[in-house]
Amino acid sequence: MSTTAATASAAALPVESSTATLAGKALTIGLVGLALTAIGLFVSGAQIVATSYLVGITYWVAIAIGLLLLVLIHHITDASWSVVIRRQWEHALSAFTWLAVLFLPLLILAWMKPGLIWPWMDLGHEIHGGGTVGADVLYQKKSGFLSLKMFTGATLIFFGTWIWLSARLRQASFAQDADGDAKWTHKNRVTSALGIPLTALTLSFAAIYWVKSLEYHWFSTMYGVWFFTNCMRGGLSVGIIMMMWLLNRGDYKGGVYNANHLHCISTLAFAFTVFWAYITFSQYFLIWNANVPEETFWYNLREVNADGTPNQWKYVGIIAILFGHFFVPFLLMLSYRFKTTPHIIRRIALWILAVILVDLCYNILPALKDAHGDPQPFFSITLVWVLTSVIGIGGVCAWSYLKSFPTTKLIPIRDPRVVESLTHHE
Amino acid sequence: MAAPSYGLIATFDTAPGLYRAAQQVRDAGYRNWDCITPLPVHGLDKAMGLKRSIVPRISLAGGITGFVTGMTMVWWTDAFDYPLLVGGKPMFSPMFAFPVSYELTILFTAFATIIGMFVVNGLPMHYHPVLKHDHIRRGMDDTFFIVIEARDPRFNLANTSALLAQAGGKDIKELET
Amino acid sequence: MAHAEHAAAPAILQEVNPAVLPRAVLVANNRSFSWITEKICGIIEGKTPAWWWIFFGVAVFVASFTVAGITYLIATGVGVWGHANPVNWAWDIVNFVFWIGIGHAGTLISAILCLLRQKWRTSINRSAEAMTIFAVVCAAIFPVFHVGRVWYAWYLFPIPNSNVIWQNFRSPLEWDVFAVSTYGTVSVLFWYVGLLPDLATLRDRFYAAGDKFRSFLYGLFAMGWRGSNRHWSNYEMAYMILAGISTPLVLSVHTIVSFDFAVSLLPGWHTTIFPPYFVAGAIFSGFGMVLTLMLPLRAVYHLEDLITQYHIDCMCKITLATGTIVGYAYAMEFFIAWYSANPYEGFTFINRAFGPYAWAYWIMITCNVLTPQFFWSRRVRQNTTLVWVLSIFVNVGMWFERFVIIVTSLARDFLPSSWGYYSPSIVEIFTFFGTFGVFSTLFLLFIRFLPIMPMAELKAVTPQADVHGGSDHH
Repeated sequence: MSTTAATASAAALPVESSTATLAGKALTIGLVGLALTAIGLFVSGAQIVATSYLVGITYWVAIAIGLLLLVLIHHITDASWSVVIRRQWEHALSAFTWLAVLFLPLLILAWMKPGLIWPWMDLGHEIHGGGTVGADVLYQKKSGFLSLKMFTGATLIFFGTWIWLSARLRQASFAQDADGDAKWTHKNRVTSALGIPLTALTLSFAAIYWVKSLEYHWFSTMYGVWFFTNCMRGGLSVGIIMMMWLLNRGDYKGGVYNANHLHCISTLAFAFTVFWAYITFSQYFLIWNANVPEETFWYNLREVNADGTPNQWKYVGIIAILFGHFFVPFLLMLSYRFKTTPHIIRRIALWILAVILVDLCYNILPALKDAHGDPQPFFSITLVWVLTSVIGIGGVCAWSYLKSFPTTKLIPIRDPRVVESLTHHE
Repeated sequence: MAAPSYGLIATFDTAPGLYRAAQQVRDAGYRNWDCITPLPVHGLDKAMGLKRSIVPRISLAGGITGFVTGMTMVWWTDAFDYPLLVGGKPMFSPMFAFPVSYELTILFTAFATIIGMFVVNGLPMHYHPVLKHDHIRRGMDDTFFIVIEARDPRFNLANTSALLAQAGGKDIKELET
Repeated sequence: MAHAEHAAAPAILQEVNPAVLPRAVLVANNRSFSWITEKICGIIEGKTPAWWWIFFGVAVFVASFTVAGITYLIATGVGVWGHANPVNWAWDIVNFVFWIGIGHAGTLISAILCLLRQKWRTSINRSAEAMTIFAVVCAAIFPVFHVGRVWYAWYLFPIPNSNVIWQNFRSPLEWDVFAVSTYGTVSVLFWYVGLLPDLATLRDRFYAAGDKFRSFLYGLFAMGWRGSNRHWSNYEMAYMILAGISTPLVLSVHTIVSFDFAVSLLPGWHTTIFPPYFVAGAIFSGFGMVLTLMLPLRAVYHLEDLITQYHIDCMCKITLATGTIVGYAYAMEFFIAWYSANPYEGFTFINRAFGPYAWAYWIMITCNVLTPQFFWSRRVRQNTTLVWVLSIFVNVGMWFERFVIIVTSLARDFLPSSWGYYSPSIVEIFTFFGTFGVFSTLFLLFIRFLPIMPMAELKAVTPQADVHGGSDHH
C-alpha cells in the first residue's frame, strides 16, 4: 500500500506544476480579452463597451455568488455528498477580490461620465419622450436611493460582504486540513447562518442597482429572486465543469469521485432550471396578465419597436430564453443517463452557462437605445464586446481559481463528513 | 409431496446477511427469485441484479398526455366550441392555458405512476404462495427471506436448498402453491 | 475502506482522516426493527385511551359550529357573511389560503425533503401528509360554499351543461379549481402509496392476533403487498416520482393561489414576488402546524426515540429560514412600493402599517418575522413547551398575513369615497372556528386507525438497515 501511495504522489507532482502553466494561460487569455475590450472603446465608443462590460462582470459575479451560496448551503445543511467537490468551490471563491478590482473601471466611469451606463446618474440626461432625468418625477421620488454615492457605497458593501464571507469560509476549511479540528466546521456553520441572509440581501440589491436601474422607471419585486436563480444555475454549472475537468485530468480517479456525486449536482442543476423557469415565467406572466403600462413597457422594449414591428429581442426571448434557457436543459436533464454521463452533462452545463449570458444580455443590453428610443439589436458589434469582456473577466477568474488550486489538498481530508462523501451512494 | 411446490424459502435475520446471500443467488444465475424485506433495503436491487424500474417511462407518458389534454381542453372550450371573449384577452393563449395544463400534467403523471407501479408489480394480488408461509408475518416486521421459484430453469430442490443454506439461510422450507 | 482494493488508489485517500463530529441518530437508543413495529402498531392495536374520547368529543362539538354556520348559510344566502362593498372577499378567502398553506408543509416534508434526502423526514412525514389532506378538506369548504348555491358547484368543472357555455379559463379562480383538486387528489394518492407496506404489516398482525375482520379491512387496502424486493424496486421509483411531481405541485398550488391576487390591478395585490413569497409563507405556516401537532403527540405516545431533539431542531430551523424568507418578501414589497414611485402602491403599504388595520399588520410582523428569530437559540429549541407556544404564534401570524393582504388592499383602494372597514359576521366566525374541529376530528381518527409513522421508512434509516455495515462496500 505504501508503495502505491508513493508512486501516486510522485505522479501528482507534474500535475501540480501543470496547473501553474494553465493558470498562466488563463491569465494571458484574460488580459488579452480585457485588452480587446479596451480597444473596443475606440471602435464602438465608451457607452456600448461599458454596457457590454457590465454584462461580463455581472455574469461572473453571478457565478461566483452561486458558488458562494453553494458553500453556504452546504454548511448550513450539514451536507455530505458535496464535501468531495466543495474544495473546488472554495478555490473559485478567491475570484471575488479580482472581480471587485475589475468592477472598479465601471465605478470610475460612473464618476467621470455619469449617465453613460445608468442614465439616472446624470440629472441632465434627456429621457426619451422629453424632459431630463432631474425633472422626472419618477426619478425625484427615488433619488434617495438612486444616487451615485449610494450606488458606490452599496457596491463596495456588496463586494466587501462577499470577499469577507469567502475569506472566512476558505480560511476555516483550509485550516481544518491541517489540524482536523471540528471547531472549523462549527465556525463555517456560523458564517453560513449569517452569510445566507447577507448574501440574499446583497445579491438582490446588486441586481437592482446594476441591472434593474438601467431602466429606472421599471420595478418588479421578483427581480432579486430572478437574479438568485441565475446565480445558482451558474454556480452549479461551473461546479459540474470543474468536476469534469478534474475527472478528465485523473485527479478524481480511484475512488475519490463516483457517479452519485455527479447525479446529485446535476439533479440540483435540474431543480434550479425548473425554479428559474418558475420565477421567470411568474414575473412575465403577472405583468402580461395585469397589462399595466408602467410595467409592460419593459417587456415591450424587448418585443416590439416604437413602430410596432417586432425586434430581435423578441426572438431572443422566445428562442434563447424560453427554449434555450428552460426547455432544452429541462428535457435533457429529465434523463438519468444524461445527468450521469460526464461528457453529456458537461455539455449541458456549458449550454446553461451560455444561455445565462444571453439572459443577462436580454436584461442589460436593451438599455442601449437608438435615436428612436428602440433598443439596439442583439446581433450587433455590442455582442463582440460582451464576448471579449466575458473572456477577459473569465480568464482572470480562472487564473485566480487555478492559482488557489495547488495551495491545498484536492479534497478536505479532515472534514467530518468526508468519508460519508467518498462512499456516497443513492 | 405430490403437489408441485412453488419454490423454496429461506430466512435471514439481518439486512447485510440477506444482501450477501442475494449476491450469491444472483451469481448462481437464478432468474425467478425474490427477496422479501420489511423495508426498502438500499443497494439490494444491484445485489439482485435488477434493472432500473420502467415506471418512469409510464409516468412520462402520463405527463405528456396530461399537458396535451389541458392545452386542448382550454383551446377547444374557450376558443373553438364556444368562443369566449373576456377581459380583452386573446381567445386562446398558451399563457393562460398554462396553469390548468400544468396541473393536469401533474395529475395524469400521478395516476400513471401509481397505476403503472401496481400493474408492473402485478398488484393487487391478495393470494400468493409466499403469503402462506408460516412466518411471513415477520417479513413485514423484522425478518428477511429469499424465495427461489420452482419454475426457474436452474431450480433443483437439493442444489438450490444447498445454495441457500450455504448463503446463510435458515429454516429453509418448501412453499406450496 | 473501499479505496484499499483499488490498485491505483490516489495518495489523497491515504490522508483522509475525518474530524470527529458524529451525526445525530434518527432513531434514538438503537431501537430494533420489531421495537418500531410494536411501538407504532401498538397505538392502533391498543385500547382506545380515555383522553382520545374526550378530545374526539370536543373536536366533534367544535366541528358542529362549521356545520351550523354552513347550514344557516345554505338556508339563507351568502349575505350572512360579513362581506360588503368594498370588501367582497374576506374571511372566506383568508381561511381558504390559511388552510391550504398549512397543508403545504405536509407535501414539503414528504416530497421536497425526500428529494433532498433529508432522512429525518421519516418520523414526521406520515402525520404531516395526513395534515395536508385534512387541511385541504377544511380549505375547500370556504370557496365551495362561497359560490352561493353550492349545489351548482359542479359548474366549476368543464362538464357539458344545458347552458352550453364553458368555464372561463382566463380566470385564476378556475385555475384554483384545477390546482386544489389536483393537490387534494395527488396528496391522497401519495399518502396511500406511503401507507401500502404499513397496511400489509397491520394486516398480518391482526391476522396473527385472530382479528379476521380488521385483517381483512387493512388487507383489502394493502393490495396483497408482500415485501417483495422486485416490488420495492418499482415502489421506491414510483415514490420518488410522486415526490418529484409533488414538489412542483406544491409550488404551483400556492403560486396559483397567489395569482388570485397578483393578476389583478389592486395595489398591494399586484406584485411579481407573490408566487415564491406565498409558497415560503405556506411552508412556514405548515411547519408551525406540524410542530403544534407533533409535539403533543410525541409526549402522549412517548415517541421521544422517534421524534428526537434533532427532529425538533430541524423543524425549528426550517421555520426560522422560511420565516426569514417571508420577512425578506415583506421588506422587498415595502421597498419596491416606495421605489415604484406609484402613489397607490406607496399608500397601500403605509396604510397597512399605520391605517385602520395596523393592529393586524403588527401582529403579522411580530408573529411571522420576530417570533421565529427565537429559534436561533439552542436553549429555546430544547424547550419543547416554548417551541409549541412559538408554533402557535406562527399559525396566528400566518392567518393574519392573509387577512392583511386581502382585507387592507380591498378596504382602501383607489377611490377614498368608497373606502370601508370590514368586520366578520358571527356566521363567518362560527364557520371558521368549526374548521379547527373538522381538522381535529379527522386527525384524531387518523392517529387512532392508521400508523402515525411510516414503519418501513423508519426502519430503513436505522443503522441495522445499512447492508454495507463496514464490510464489502463499493
